[in-house]
Amino acid sequence: MIMKQFRYEPLSQASYLIACPRAKEAVIVDPIENLGSDFYVLEAADLGLAIVGVFETHIHADYVSCARELAEMNGVPHYLHERAKRLAKYEFTPITDGQVFEIGGIRITALHTPGHTPEHTSYVIVDTPRSPDPWFVLTGDSLFVGDVGRPDLLIGDQDLDVMGEAERAETLYRSVTEKLFSLPDHVEVFPNHYGGSTCGGVNMSGKASSTIAFEKRFNLAMRQPDAKAFGRFVKETAKPFPDNYSRIKSYNLGLIGKDELKGATV
Amino acid sequence: MTPQEVHAAQEAGTVVLDMRPPKPFAKEHVPGAVNFQFNRADLAERAELSVPVDGSFVVHAEPEPIAKIAVKILSDAGFTVLGHLEGGLKGWKAAGLPTAEMPLIDVDQLKAGLDGYHVLDTREGFEYRFGHIPNAELLEWTEPWSTMEAVDDSKPLALVCGDQVRSSFVASVLLRVGKNASLVFGGMVDWVERGYPMVKTPKK
Repeated sequence: MIMKQFRYEPLSQASYLIACPRAKEAVIVDPIENLGSDFYVLEAADLGLAIVGVFETHIHADYVSCARELAEMNGVPHYLHERAKRLAKYEFTPITDGQVFEIGGIRITALHTPGHTPEHTSYVIVDTPRSPDPWFVLTGDSLFVGDVGRPDLLIGDQDLDVMGEAERAETLYRSVTEKLFSLPDHVEVFPNHYGGSTCGGVNMSGKASSTIAFEKRFNLAMRQPDAKAFGRFVKETAKPFPDNYSRIKSYNLGLIGKDELKGATV
Repeated sequence: MTPQEVHAAQEAGTVVLDMRPPKPFAKEHVPGAVNFQFNRADLAERAELSVPVDGSFVVHAEPEPIAKIAVKILSDAGFTVLGHLEGGLKGWKAAGLPTAEMPLIDVDQLKAGLDGYHVLDTREGFEYRFGHIPNAELLEWTEPWSTMEAVDDSKPLALVCGDQVRSSFVASVLLRVGKNASLVFGGMVDWVERGYPMVKTPKK
């Protein structure tokens, strides 16, 4: 297997290339416009890989996604959880909880982990030539290293803000405890953000990977005794809102065009 | 360059360098194209080792940003590159131009029909000597293209290397000069993994 984590430091954002070198096929997860579609295309080409799919964990609020463009350039599907159908105003390939994708020897299982957003999905990765057990999970903005994704980024549109803040926090708590923490302890955690990102709280680590076991023991948000306490803790330890998040989210939802984004992102 | 311009250049002797991975190349490519896979780090170096310096070339890569960079890298290295195929294979077909395939086999098929193939190992000599398929012949990927023209294909040729960068290149050159050649997808990596027989050639 080939796995590359690409970090865009000004936004503490991580995107991923996951590939089977035998099949010479790759998928890109959570690509960011600041790096740009050409960046991912060239990274894959350097490794002799054809991009066969573009996955997103969720519709992002703090950075501009280039998933639509990257998928179109390569003529491949853009995957988002089916729940995004109610939100996004563009065509994508809807996926469901538990859906499995085979990329050569790599097995990707979608794990619906709502809370940060209703469509949020983590991706559990198995390298089948090595083991039938999962090796790592891309947690997006659900479980971070040392923290969790903030559940309070609304867009101010009643149709889109399908859950309230408290309900989202409790949903997130259940997603992490019941789904992610059910994975084997050895499973590595690779999030969409780290460190200074405003998508989580003040306890996010600058280290951009961890394990399920380590986060079970030492993640302060997840150490809270119950969902209610978790919700309070997340609110108290939240950072300021991301810059221009409403405009960025509107673009990522397909509500506004690229020309309306000018100056909205670093 | 438009598909028609590329086609006309081919008629005048220009070679299309197809920079895509071997599987999409095998499925469908511009007839006569050579599969020369992309990599920013060593594209120029590999070209200097294996591509005729006095030739003229057109790049086909998809998506197109790859093609533009490849044209620049090869031009900077002193090769005559006329441009890249605009619109890729889709545009080529829309212009009504024909495509070609490269036969693929896997190591199980090769093993089952080994006596019927003439196996050509396109790795470096030291890799070949360390272990190769029984009766495989060494044909290093850096051999001049004129050598490829002299290859005997009375038995169908089966091309192997480690990861199909070199074997797909040589297979496509052999196909270009009219030989009966197939690419062994999975190559020596799969052959070794299956535990199929290997022969060591002592160093002279």
